[in-house]
Amino acid sequence: MAAAEAYVLDGTRDGDEAAGAVVGALLARLGQAGWRAEAVRLRDVEIAPCLGCFGCWTNTPGRCVIDDGAGEITRRAIGSGLLVYATPVVFGGYASPLKHALDRMICLVSPFFQVVDGEVHHRLRYPRYPRLLGVGAAEGEDGERDRLFETLVRRNALNLHAGRWAAGVVRTDEPGDRREARLDQLLQDVGRAP
Amino acid sequence: MRRALLLVGSPKAGPSTSGALGAYLLDRLAEHGVQAETRRVAEVLRDPAGLGELAGAVDRSNLFVVSFPLYVDSLPAPVVRCFEGLAAVWGARAGGRPRFAAVVNCRFPEASQCDTALAICRRFAAETGLSWAGGLALGGGGAVGGRPLDRAGGRVRNVRTALDQAGAALARGEAVPERAVHLMAKPLVPRWLYLLIGNLHWTCAARRHGAFRRLHDRPYA
Repeated sequence: MAAAEAYVLDGTRDGDEAAGAVVGALLARLGQAGWRAEAVRLRDVEIAPCLGCFGCWTNTPGRCVIDDGAGEITRRAIGSGLLVYATPVVFGGYASPLKHALDRMICLVSPFFQVVDGEVHHRLRYPRYPRLLGVGAAEGEDGERDRLFETLVRRNALNLHAGRWAAGVVRTDEPGDRREARLDQLLQDVGRAP
Repeated sequence: MRRALLLVGSPKAGPSTSGALGAYLLDRLAEHGVQAETRRVAEVLRDPAGLGELAGAVDRSNLFVVSFPLYVDSLPAPVVRCFEGLAAVWGARAGGRPRFAAVVNCRFPEASQCDTALAICRRFAAETGLSWAGGLALGGGGAVGGRPLDRAGGRVRNVRTALDQAGAALARGEAVPERAVHLMAKPLVPRWLYLLIGNLHWTCAARRHGAFRRLHDRPYA
């Protein structure tokens, strides 16, 4: 049986060498964990900003009205077994290349509302959604930053109906073996490759 | 003369709820003698010199306000790009920068869904030397629908009052008061009604675009 695909959205920007090294290590650890990993470097893909027109819900349901690189990324994301957000941590959140891609992926859910755990969210569009792993890269110890990043990934997992998710910040100033151990822990948290 | 700079973070070209909320707040600041200026995020990013000019305009102001819609639990990507650019222009953290406040609106009825976005704004302030003056979150922003708040009817009465209070406090150099935060976060309509109207809205919009039968399509299945 072929290995399940892990699709890595690489949100690094020009000059993010340290975060890029974390993405490289992540791809290696995904392979070790049995995933067939493929990454897309988002800064090399033409992705226009979401215009907030909701055309992907009411004009061309399930597909953004803008025809650019985001369409293929969206297709690959929903077809994967594990969707990975790999990004430098920017003010506790995602770097702009990753955020551009995610803003364009709201077509993966239905416009219709439902209540989940007392909160309103959008309904499923697809019968199956990938697991979600958020890997942030940042320098130094900062508990508040790390908690904010994890909260953001948790909120995204809820809205993207990810059955299982994990998130954490990998420190770029730590030795390689410590970073690998952290990545392995995150991969364990998100579950074995099927 | 005290100055305020508003950055409207909606990527929409036309009227937006973010623009309407920000404009109403600027009017209140003007009533208190604060000279206000507005920039739109798309225009800033379209101009190669836009981020440098925005950084200069922020530094010349006493108050920097960003008003934006919630996108995927966070800020719209162009606003993130602006924040990244401002941080790059400014370099290492330094004090003496103006105060910074944020106004977030989302289409979910719960204003609390904007908490993560506000936390990111607070973090941006801390990392760039801006002085955090607080944030307001509005749920059910679809009720404003991009209209000027003065013409958006009685349903947004609490929104107007919250912005009145926030404008007065910010003009005095104070933080956004807690009572304004609570007023802004009050649901505009009961949740059951919001769900009913919201779900009906999507159905009608799809009908208008001839897409009603395709509403549940799965093009990437």
